[in-house]
Amino acid sequence: MSETRTHEPVETGVPSSEAKVTVYRRMKDLPSTHLLGSGTAMCAGCGGLEALHEVYDVIGEKSIFVNAAGCMTLLSVYPFTPFRGSWLYTSMASAPAGAQGVRDALDILLEKKRISTAEDMEVVVLTGDGSAYGMGLSSTSGAIERGLDFLYLCYDNEGYGNTGQQYSGATPHGARTATSKGEHGFAGYKKDLFSIWAAHQPAYVATIIGAEPLDLARKIEQAKRLEGPRLVIALAPCPTGWDFDPKYTVEVGKLAVKTGIWPLKEYVDGRVVHTRIPHERVPVEEYLKLQGRFRHLFEPQRDEALLAEIQARVDAYWAGVSE
Amino acid sequence: MKAASRILGTAFFLEGYEVQDAPRYGAERRGAPIFAFVRASHDPINERGIIRHPDLVVVADDSLVPVPGAGVMSGVDKHTVVLVNSGDSAEIWKQRLNFEGDVYTLPAEAADRAALRFIGAACAGAAARLLGVIRRDTLADAIRQELADLGADVVEVNLAKALAAFDSMQAHEARVTPIKPGSAAQYQPPDWIDLPFEDARAAAPAIHAGATSVEVRTGLWRTLRPVIDHDRCNRCWWVCSTFCPDGAIAVDPDGRPRIDYDHCKGCMICVAQCPPHAISALSEQAAQTAEKAGASE
Repeated sequence: MSETRTHEPVETGVPSSEAKVTVYRRMKDLPSTHLLGSGTAMCAGCGGLEALHEVYDVIGEKSIFVNAAGCMTLLSVYPFTPFRGSWLYTSMASAPAGAQGVRDALDILLEKKRISTAEDMEVVVLTGDGSAYGMGLSSTSGAIERGLDFLYLCYDNEGYGNTGQQYSGATPHGARTATSKGEHGFAGYKKDLFSIWAAHQPAYVATIIGAEPLDLARKIEQAKRLEGPRLVIALAPCPTGWDFDPKYTVEVGKLAVKTGIWPLKEYVDGRVVHTRIPHERVPVEEYLKLQGRFRHLFEPQRDEALLAEIQARVDAYWAGVSE
Repeated sequence: MKAASRILGTAFFLEGYEVQDAPRYGAERRGAPIFAFVRASHDPINERGIIRHPDLVVVADDSLVPVPGAGVMSGVDKHTVVLVNSGDSAEIWKQRLNFEGDVYTLPAEAADRAALRFIGAACAGAAARLLGVIRRDTLADAIRQELADLGADVVEVNLAKALAAFDSMQAHEARVTPIKPGSAAQYQPPDWIDLPFEDARAAAPAIHAGATSVEVRTGLWRTLRPVIDHDRCNRCWWVCSTFCPDGAIAVDPDGRPRIDYDHCKGCMICVAQCPPHAISALSEQAAQTAEKAGASE
């Protein structure tokens, strides 16, 4: 299709986050039956699948998932799929490009009246952090630049989980990974993908987590309401890659929010709003010590310098947040 | 099993063998079968890839035996020795598998769930004795080399497990008999089935129904079973149902959550998160035994 869809910000007069009327006012408004099929190959206790199944209830079955290689490639293995809509598999770097093709095809069908607007579908890119923070960043940048009308969901388990948790651009400082086994863990720092995406000024950017389902549902609802590039990062506690008992997936997720290491926020109408500000922040080590990937910070002796550095980075972040 | 193959491979090497040891990965996740192969010979090894006709098969998890994808008995014949980590006796396994060759079990390992972390070392130890060409000291050296990165404590526990397993196989030393690999000329190609190239519309793997994944019974992965006490359940905002990653808990119209045991993988998130602690964790094995007893009464 020669003509590209361009994104026009929706004029509401007030910031959308205040103007929106949500159907998710309280926990009881969350769905109690679910759309995503059981029986997938994801690990027991997968934080990414937890977020996806909550997200899918809001997005609904009129959707096409464009899935870059990663853990969630294993969702749809012929002849099995948990989705009720369509699914397309791309290489790690190309999911947003695949989404462009799907969106264009739908637009052509709409234009030729071969499908009705009621039959139109939401195009959803689904990738892990290896693709979102690294290999796929260029094609994402291009898709936002072209104003592609799509939703991007990144399940961020902070490493290449499907191949044994090698470090990625999302790995936090100090974490042990299959490729960072030294005394002090991963030497680099987690890339600020939220800001990188927001710097493109797309329609919507947000962080979510499966452990905060109400915040998640409201954000996906908001993203669904908007048009243009809408990008969401779900922190995905990973029992296998982070080395904790799968029953703690929600506990780890809640602590990520309470310690302030995973800020819940959204970018809409050109400004960043924090949707959950932990006023009495729990010390970050409460989050770290549940996870085997940080065990070297506590055993055989506490690595005070590294613990203090991680805490200081979290403190510095929140010092810069105005309410 | 990767650890077992590396320990065994290194032990062979220290005994002067030419060695190949290689893990074969599927998806890296819980519940996925993992395979590893070790080839050893005094002559240079030209063969590559998976072992089609093993002299020794070691099964670390007996629940894999009935899983077709695991194919643990593929390529065995009566010269093959099979070692199973199982509480059931070797006789039972011989009958179950309808297998003429030697079967040995590691009952001590199967009885102790806490020992499961060290199953690789235990398997390597037992295998070394069955092979009969690896000395006790060599086995210990191989473990020290392979596990050095994990710290002295880990090495000690693994050493103890491996050597105990080695000693337990004393009566069966050197039961494994190597057969000469066939020459390339004798290679039998598999029974190929020719698939004609079809039009993409016919050949592309299109799935024409939604949520077909429910046909996959992931409930088989479970080692612990969450059980809801409906008297204690306070019919909250379905915490268990929302947090269950697998969507295996649905809520009845009257607000009662129901667990779908065909798909519950046993992560126990619902047990950890239930506000009134109305969900408890039972051992899956015990729960199944109780169920069978209940059914036969």
